[in-house]
Amino acid sequence: MHLHYGTAQTLVAVVFLVIALALAVVFAAVAAHAGDEVQFARVQAVGYWIRKRWLAFLVALSVVVVGASFAALPYASGSGAGRTRVSVTAGQFYWALSPAQVVAGTAVRFLITSRDVNHGFGLYDPEGQLIGEAQAMPGYTNTLDMTFARAGHYRVLCLEYCGVGHHLMEGVFTVLPAGQR
Amino acid sequence: MSARESGTDRNIAGLVALTGLALFAVMGIAGLVMRLAQANVLEVSPTWFYPLLTLHGVGMITGALLSGMGALWFVLRTDVALSVGRMIAAYVAILLGTAAVLVATVIGGFAAAWTFLWPLPFDAAGQWSTWATVVFLVGVLLVGVGFLIYCIDVLEQITRAFGGMSRTLGVDYLRGRDPSPPPPQILAGVVVAMAGIAASAAGTTILVALMVYSFDRGAHIDALWAKNLTYFYGHTVANLTIYLIIGALYVLLPRYTGRPWKTTAPIVVGWLLTLIFVLTVYSHHLYMDTVQPRVLEYISSASSDASAIPAAVVTIFSAMMLIWGSGYRWTLTSGLVYLGFAGWTIGGVGAVIDSLMPVNSRLHNTLWVPGHFHTYLLMGVMFWVFAFIAYLLEAAAGRPARTLSAWVALGLMVIGGYGLSAMWFAAGALGVPRRYAVQPPGTTGYSLAASIFTMIFAVGFLVMLAEFWTLAAAGLSQRRMTGVLDPWPMSRENWLAFRQRLALLDRERFGREPSVAPAGERAPDPAPGPALERARARRSVALAGLVVAIVTYPPIYGSAENDLTIHHLIHAGQFLAGGLFGLALGSLAPVSRRMRGGGGDALALVLAIAAPAAMLFAMAPRIYGPLEHHAVLHAAYHLGMGILGLLAGLGCARFGRVAGWFVLLAAVSMALLWAPGVIGA
Repeated sequence: MHLHYGTAQTLVAVVFLVIALALAVVFAAVAAHAGDEVQFARVQAVGYWIRKRWLAFLVALSVVVVGASFAALPYASGSGAGRTRVSVTAGQFYWALSPAQVVAGTAVRFLITSRDVNHGFGLYDPEGQLIGEAQAMPGYTNTLDMTFARAGHYRVLCLEYCGVGHHLMEGVFTVLPAGQR
Repeated sequence: MSARESGTDRNIAGLVALTGLALFAVMGIAGLVMRLAQANVLEVSPTWFYPLLTLHGVGMITGALLSGMGALWFVLRTDVALSVGRMIAAYVAILLGTAAVLVATVIGGFAAAWTFLWPLPFDAAGQWSTWATVVFLVGVLLVGVGFLIYCIDVLEQITRAFGGMSRTLGVDYLRGRDPSPPPPQILAGVVVAMAGIAASAAGTTILVALMVYSFDRGAHIDALWAKNLTYFYGHTVANLTIYLIIGALYVLLPRYTGRPWKTTAPIVVGWLLTLIFVLTVYSHHLYMDTVQPRVLEYISSASSDASAIPAAVVTIFSAMMLIWGSGYRWTLTSGLVYLGFAGWTIGGVGAVIDSLMPVNSRLHNTLWVPGHFHTYLLMGVMFWVFAFIAYLLEAAAGRPARTLSAWVALGLMVIGGYGLSAMWFAAGALGVPRRYAVQPPGTTGYSLAASIFTMIFAVGFLVMLAEFWTLAAAGLSQRRMTGVLDPWPMSRENWLAFRQRLALLDRERFGREPSVAPAGERAPDPAPGPALERARARRSVALAGLVVAIVTYPPIYGSAENDLTIHHLIHAGQFLAGGLFGLALGSLAPVSRRMRGGGGDALALVLAIAAPAAMLFAMAPRIYGPLEHHAVLHAAYHLGMGILGLLAGLGCARFGRVAGWFVLLAAVSMALLWAPGVIGA
């Protein structure tokens, strides 16, 4: 399976790159002025003025960003009524999904567990974009809600190191075209 | 002649830091091998790749930890009577632990990753044997014990020198009751020590639980519980490698800026918040476990994001203010210090982004994760470690490193290091899983590019090492074995201002004998007091122990019907009762006198560390189970719990009031942690 950049991941990477470059510019600017001779009292006066606003900006940004993230949690919610339940059992080194296929448009709740060690249920769409994941843990059932609008073969890779065959664990979840069974 | 003047401090700190550097170099080779394997340049079978991965993770963190410990120890020794014996004991324990991990992975083929997530260490799919698992666990435990000894000493000696928690954490200063607060490296030391002891409690509990399983397959370990403890331990220790070396930067950076880094209200608040955050962030490793209590995820997410604020607003911003317009001279040391701030900042942003739950659902356990932690650990922490070593060597040689060597080394390491991280970030955004011996089709190009960047970094690193060698040779030839930074013999036209600054700093910091008792201007206490110096305190604590004993000892008959978790909590109470008695007993003058000196100190450490661990082992179902139906044996077992507590309390009494109580409570917490996680089949 060939992987592909997901829209969400691309956006995150671009944001990170922009911030990293901006920081690099700031550090370069400070470095450029490091060798100057400026009275420390003057630096402190300007610095404290900037720092208060920098603090206020970061606090505000944190509240907004973290608050928004709390409002957009990626977790399953509710009883799952109306969702097709798909049992996922991970083992060294395989995936067992039941049922292993649904029809397009189906809302699914994956119930994920492991029969041996920790694994990571990583779901990739037919184009190879990572669209969701949850851990597979022995003795527990983690849940992941997904709605499959598009038909195709969705791949499952292991996203939690589980032993010598970790990189070989690949499963398939098939979404059939609407109307087909 | 003081320890500083004889060079003991520098020699010990240098040895510890250089050992960490050597570990880094060896683990770096392992890292390069892995990248080349993933690039299909080298043929490395998965049966070798994954043990290497395991070794690399543990070894790198241990190397960074060791170097940071040495650096902070060196700067703290100016004002705090840290123990040479305990530093050596910690060093030896960590070396032995590292050797054990090496044996377990390279010879035993142990490959459960540094996370040793239960039950993988015992579900090897035929790749390694139980002996390798046990040796690995012992190794990691020894590394943890070494760090614990160090933390106990730092907490004990700082609080003896500067006063109680409210002074050493700067709270008195915030409340206007302390006109001369401790220097910022003291705050760093206290926070590291407290967090380190807390992490050790959790780490010891999970490690002992796994060791119990190795001989008692009837023990059922809860997988979620194990994951929580493992990540609390591992994340916190890795996080503390940053704060250890930052403590040293408070002294190192002023050397080059001519501006002292003093304790201010923002620094105090920053460290108080950091102490809270460092202990509450770990659950971001469990975002993809939906069974994890949601409240922990909320707390962790808020903490992970908020933890960036003290760093960005206090530490990094203050450093930039100190550097701006300071006439900063670019040497190998000063360059490494500066670049380290950039690495920490950029890597930190990558981490904070990943700590948002919606983002994490697309990046969790992809290569984004090694991307961000390699950035702040390699380009941040390790650059600062290099800086500390460069600082010691430049002082020994009496001159800075050669400019060309410095620029070549720094340039190559910057290009190589950020290139390496960038490849991980890019592959992570693509969705490439981490810890894959064989990369998904079409992605080996990232590994190939990363390998090239690693080699560029390695060349820069070797250039730096060559310069270290030159400086060391110059230092040895000049026999400059002092622990004090001598003014460098620099040419007037290039270094005049710099020399003036150094002289100023030397007068401020080294022009007088270090005072180890700024609090109340007390002279250093040659006979350090026990935890409970007053008779009234001893009586109160003993009485409290009696009350706890009364509450927890009687439920012996019919105990078989009790819930096992409740029963283990009762054991924790029995241990606590004994611990309180031990603390009071150990604080009595005749007992306290016997615990002074090297032998007594070693005994105290052994008791405080071994007794709680023994208590956990004794709660193995195989040991405990058969006793449940024998009233007398059961009663004796409970008494044994109390005796182990007594021994732990005796040891803790030696550490003084603050460290003594803190370590005892950490020990009791181990039993509380054990209760819900380890039960019989």
